[in-house]
Amino acid sequence: MPTATTVVTPARFAQGLIYAGFLEKATVNHDKFEESYRSVPLTNADLSFFRRAAALTNGPAKILAIAEAWCGDVYRELPTVVRIAEATGIELRIFYRDENPDIMDEFLSNNGKSRAIPVFVFYTEDLQYITRFTERSASAHAGLAAAMDEAKVQLNLPSNATFGNLPDGDRQALLRELIARIRPHSDQWRKDAIQEIRELLSAALKIPNAG
Amino acid sequence: MPVEAKPVVYTIRGCDACVKLLRKWDAEHVEYEERHVELSQAVLDEARSHGDLVPIVVWPDGRVEQGFGDTIGCFI
Repeated sequence: MPTATTVVTPARFAQGLIYAGFLEKATVNHDKFEESYRSVPLTNADLSFFRRAAALTNGPAKILAIAEAWCGDVYRELPTVVRIAEATGIELRIFYRDENPDIMDEFLSNNGKSRAIPVFVFYTEDLQYITRFTERSASAHAGLAAAMDEAKVQLNLPSNATFGNLPDGDRQALLRELIARIRPHSDQWRKDAIQEIRELLSAALKIPNAG
Repeated sequence: MPVEAKPVVYTIRGCDACVKLLRKWDAEHVEYEERHVELSQAVLDEARSHGDLVPIVVWPDGRVEQGFGDTIGCFI
């Protein structure tokens, strides 16, 4: 939950960038954003759900996104939220993380230790917090953990091996093995992120998660 | 006198693993060439040709290391 004294006031929210402004300012990955925008895996049922949620008086009317253009999770997930905003009329404002540390500080993850992005914060019209999605879906986190375990088995590394306690050679081999194992799941994890956003909104608004 | 080759390190502003690596190197007086991935597509493409996670270190002998410390690092 954000702090009681949030820095996200109406005036501050309005200072966020629209997507075109975000892209204009981005120095990298224009092709990746374009490709992700073209291939957003939103179904008609998803769009129907988001439109229904946005139509509620206490439903989402504003989304605050925290992002950086270099980040893989951002160029994969931000275009999804752009499409949701376009389809529902929800106002999307994007803030570059490193230029807005006070906003980032309100939405830290990993028990306040990580500045993971993207963050998508859903608000009502009068900026009452509804819910938020951070970085990637729970299934993606679980998939990463499973891939890590499989990679250790493949490399005959002890099950308690971590990036912090392995010698450099083993550490690099583990990273390469892990990356090879998670790459094929990227498309599914984008779909899972949409489902997770639906579940978050459904729970927060107490509405059925149906299309 | 021959010029000593330095490792090239690809970093991103705000990447915790990058900050930790450079702090360690600075404390150990390791000389390095830092290239900021977020500032240009050319540097990002160059970094991607070596790996997927910053920091990426390319040693003078061609060895490549990705990430640092006990976290995965930042996907690029």
